[in-house]
Amino acid sequence: MGASGGSATAAIARRAFADGRIRTLSFAALFAFMAFVNVDGYEHSFPTLRDKVEFVRSFGNDASVKLFYGQPYDLLHAGGYVAWRVGGFGAIFAAAWGLLAAVRALRTEEDAGRWELLLAGAVRRRSAYLAVLAAIGGGWLVLWLGLWLGCTAGGLAAGGSAYLALAALTPALVFAGVGALVSQIAPTRRLALELGMVVLALAFLLRTIADTSSGAEWLRWLTPLGWSEQLRAFADPRPLVLVLPVAVGAALLTLAGAIALRRDVGSGLIASHDRRAPRLRLLDSPTAQALRLERGSLLGWFVGVGTFAAIVGVLSTTFEGARLSRSIREELARYGVQALTPTGILGLYFLFFVLAISLFACAQVVAARREEAGQQLETLLSLPVGRRRWLAGRLALATGGAVALALAAALLSWIGARSQGADVSLADMLGAGANCLPATLLFLGLSTLALGAWPRATSGIAYGLVSVAFVWQLFGAALGAPAWLLGVSPFHHVGLVPAQDFKALAAAIMVALAAAALLAAFALFERRDLTGE
Amino acid sequence: MEAIRAEGLSKRYGATVALDDLDLAVQPGEVYGYLGPNGAGKTTTIRLLLGLHRPTAGGASLFGIDAWRDPVTAHRRVAYVAGEPFLWPSLTSAETFAFLARVRGRDDAAYRETLIDRFRVDPDKKVRALSKGNRQKVQLVAAFASRAELLILDEPTAGLDPLMEVAFRETVREAKERGQTIFLSSHILSEVEAVCDRVGILRGGRLVDQGTLEQLRHLSAHTVEVTFAGPVPRLPELPGVAVAGAGENALRLEVSGELRPLLAALAELPVVALASREPSLEEIFLHHYDATDGRVGR
Repeated sequence: MGASGGSATAAIARRAFADGRIRTLSFAALFAFMAFVNVDGYEHSFPTLRDKVEFVRSFGNDASVKLFYGQPYDLLHAGGYVAWRVGGFGAIFAAAWGLLAAVRALRTEEDAGRWELLLAGAVRRRSAYLAVLAAIGGGWLVLWLGLWLGCTAGGLAAGGSAYLALAALTPALVFAGVGALVSQIAPTRRLALELGMVVLALAFLLRTIADTSSGAEWLRWLTPLGWSEQLRAFADPRPLVLVLPVAVGAALLTLAGAIALRRDVGSGLIASHDRRAPRLRLLDSPTAQALRLERGSLLGWFVGVGTFAAIVGVLSTTFEGARLSRSIREELARYGVQALTPTGILGLYFLFFVLAISLFACAQVVAARREEAGQQLETLLSLPVGRRRWLAGRLALATGGAVALALAAALLSWIGARSQGADVSLADMLGAGANCLPATLLFLGLSTLALGAWPRATSGIAYGLVSVAFVWQLFGAALGAPAWLLGVSPFHHVGLVPAQDFKALAAAIMVALAAAALLAAFALFERRDLTGE
Repeated sequence: MEAIRAEGLSKRYGATVALDDLDLAVQPGEVYGYLGPNGAGKTTTIRLLLGLHRPTAGGASLFGIDAWRDPVTAHRRVAYVAGEPFLWPSLTSAETFAFLARVRGRDDAAYRETLIDRFRVDPDKKVRALSKGNRQKVQLVAAFASRAELLILDEPTAGLDPLMEVAFRETVREAKERGQTIFLSSHILSEVEAVCDRVGILRGGRLVDQGTLEQLRHLSAHTVEVTFAGPVPRLPELPGVAVAGAGENALRLEVSGELRPLLAALAELPVVALASREPSLEEIFLHHYDATDGRVGR
């Protein structure tokens, strides 16, 4: 009996681990790549002590840089530099991984009714919950190993690298706890993810304020992303800080576990509102209904993109470009930015909005695919609705949303910059917004092509293409890749408007490729069988 | 013009033959029962009829309109109930009815209210909170309230309780009285026997038998049960007669074709009781399957 219970628990752990393996391995590869490239790139970019000192004076103290990378503690050595570049950015990824892993293993499984099936077997709730935690812990170890390998392969000391990887990944522990807790609170996967994302956004906002405003440094102690900074890998290690993420993570997981043992399976602490008087707006066509169902997530995109656009705008004036070293100027020139005026900063950072809006477009295609996989599309197409009309409606929604997001990013970054008295024109920023769209359309086209040709792989192909292309653009040059190989990433061909001119030819080629991909996608989609999960 | 016509309709998924050379014609106003166990090809047939999947060979048309090439025109006259009741979890039943009716562009609101009462649907409850049977009822109400000329129903009563099964049969009869055509895929034999005019039996992707219940019975074996005044005596070998079961002093025989030779042989023996009955649909159905090992095909 005990043996069979134990093997069932092991089976649950293995299953949960296998479920998340692709996400875990992608994150681990990303961490390893980022670490390796940054160790390698540091000595390459700042060969002399003078370069390093100048880098510290200029970039290291820039608020807009800290927005993404966090607070640096030692930029005179490769270790401290990597801890800053990888740790600051990686902490956000680690937090997202922890959240996704816990919600996937707990709430998604329960939502789909599989948790009920498990608990109907000879498994205690406590064992099942612990098995899931073991699987998440296993995934965390894989991430840690990836980051450690990247650091040591680049030439950092093994011991320090181990501590760096630990520090950068502590947010994953805390946010696994957050994910486990929201999985108990929310009755649906979607609400759980939304709650978790709100917590992550708050943590990020706190770190941003702590890192960029003088006098607010103490706020760093209130966010798991700040604890990760306070561990100060390679600079001034403070291992005692580890108590915070470990204690908070354990407390959250214990609380979540206690709730999981007490509540009814299939429910959440928040009662789902299962009854309401009919609301009959936005039900006139499949497209209207898709808009209705995606409203919440659209709002989330607008709040997220808008907030960061405003912050980037406000921070665009903080940079003191006069003290730039020659090597930094050269590095910037490689990205096409000649001077770090507010316009230059905004041009650099708008590449992140190209990324965000491209991801939004992918998310819309993935939502369309979910409607097919869930067989709701079968019901729609049994009505007098053609495939072309359905898909065109979905794509119109994606395109309209992308245009609106680009406009919001342009307007809010302009307002932010103007509020600080920066000399940035509205026309420039609208141009920067419009400049996001050709690449977005290209990724929309390619994702739709995946939907037409390989429906089951839509999500992986869509998000994978965007992520790989972006990471390649960020770090490919530091690896010393030849120009033609760097050029395979569409992001390489996006002009950094308003710092640079709009690259009209590249944009035209991207739009033409998008059109070709969409035509092929429609032809394939109209000829294939509908495909379930 | 037939409501449904399939000619040489075939579908392969990779190496698997899901449907093999199906010829089918369903007349307007007819209730056609499409029988087969799980995996026989019923859902595949329906997906081909609706143009959701593409035929490997042959073709299907609804009211003369090609199902694959012009599905939108064909679907103006069709309502469909899917075997798996996946709807939109965040819409309530009432919202689902409104959405489906608006997209379809036709709907009998008064009849819908009748059906909501009859099937005891709670219109204000979200689909997410409904059991499988209740989601199935939402689909049924939406389909019948459309008053479409052709209803294609894929195992529509799976998950319904016996009371709802009665409501379903009543609704089918009403549709038939109005002249609607119904294509009912099912493996519930009593349901098909109760409501269908004609029956097709599908096995391993092939239509193995088709006709009215009368015709199917005529072609199949009668069951004859004989009770003797003592231990069962030896019977002579007779063509078309097979022993289906034996007790201490009783025999159950399957007889195909003429009964006379058997009766002549029994006249010589101490028979106490004799009962003969037509085969039930279940027996016809099982006749086409290898019921002994439970596997499809012989």
